[in-house]
Amino acid sequence: MGDEDTVTGFLLGGIGELNKNHHPNFLVVEKDTTINETEDTFRWFLNREDIGIILINQYIAERCSMRSMPTTLLEIPSKEHPNDAAKDPILRRARGMFMAHDLR
Amino acid sequence: MAARGPRAELDSLLLQLLGDLEELEAKRAALNSRVEEGWLSLSKARYAMGAKSVGPLQYASRMEPQVRVCTSEAQDGPQKFWMVRAGTQTPEEVGPREAVLRRRKGLTRTPEPDPSPAPQDPLNWFGILVPHSLRQAQASFREGLQLAADMASLQIRIDWGRSQLQGLQEKLKQLEPGAP
Repeated sequence: MGDEDTVTGFLLGGIGELNKNHHPNFLVVEKDTTINETEDTFRWFLNREDIGIILINQYIAERCSMRSMPTTLLEIPSKEHPNDAAKDPILRRARGMFMAHDLR
Repeated sequence: MAARGPRAELDSLLLQLLGDLEELEAKRAALNSRVEEGWLSLSKARYAMGAKSVGPLQYASRMEPQVRVCTSEAQDGPQKFWMVRAGTQTPEEVGPREAVLRRRKGLTRTPEPDPSPAPQDPLNWFGILVPHSLRQAQASFREGLQLAADMASLQIRIDWGRSQLQGLQEKLKQLEPGAP
């Protein structure tokens, strides 16, 4: 799930699927794509048994409040929004582990 | 004395976790580089082919993935992911018998399973003769996919390690309730 260039690139890499029922395993998020549509597609991907990892631009994951999601969610940069390590959910959870009183 | 075992285990787990975090960040930096290279190559391809020639308008109406992600579920450990190209044999399917087949004994042929049709290369969506920059973009994103699988495995391992760490810390608190 990402901007046009990111999705086109990864589809070139060979992970795209569009079956006879026209059910894609990708979503190009454009300026007029609503948050509801993005969240609905994301939930649909989560429920599909044939999808193991979801690649998503970080700014889309942030916008749609999908942070508390399973670890098979991989946030990637987008052209207009580079990755911000401070916003990465894995690193934030890891940072929370190393509190002084827990390490005594 | 009773807490020495869990303490040593805690230290070991903490070191493993820190190593995994470091590895995850290194792979994240590598993935970001591959993706940025891919975008640049796509822009070059667009410059060569036309602004609207590389995008969703060219996506095929039927797509079969060339690459799939496989997963292993360990009973007592974290899940792992790895990428497999469609149509490749798993190591278990290739054995000593293959060496015999390669010796070409006469006209007899061992019946082979019907090969499934190879999925179409996505490069073909953009024409027959595509610029080199588009092939470079494909190569960059393919490398990115392998890194993505490694990162997903690391993320799961880090979360698993985190929950193990919390469990051990609770255990230690119970063994040493009076410790500061």
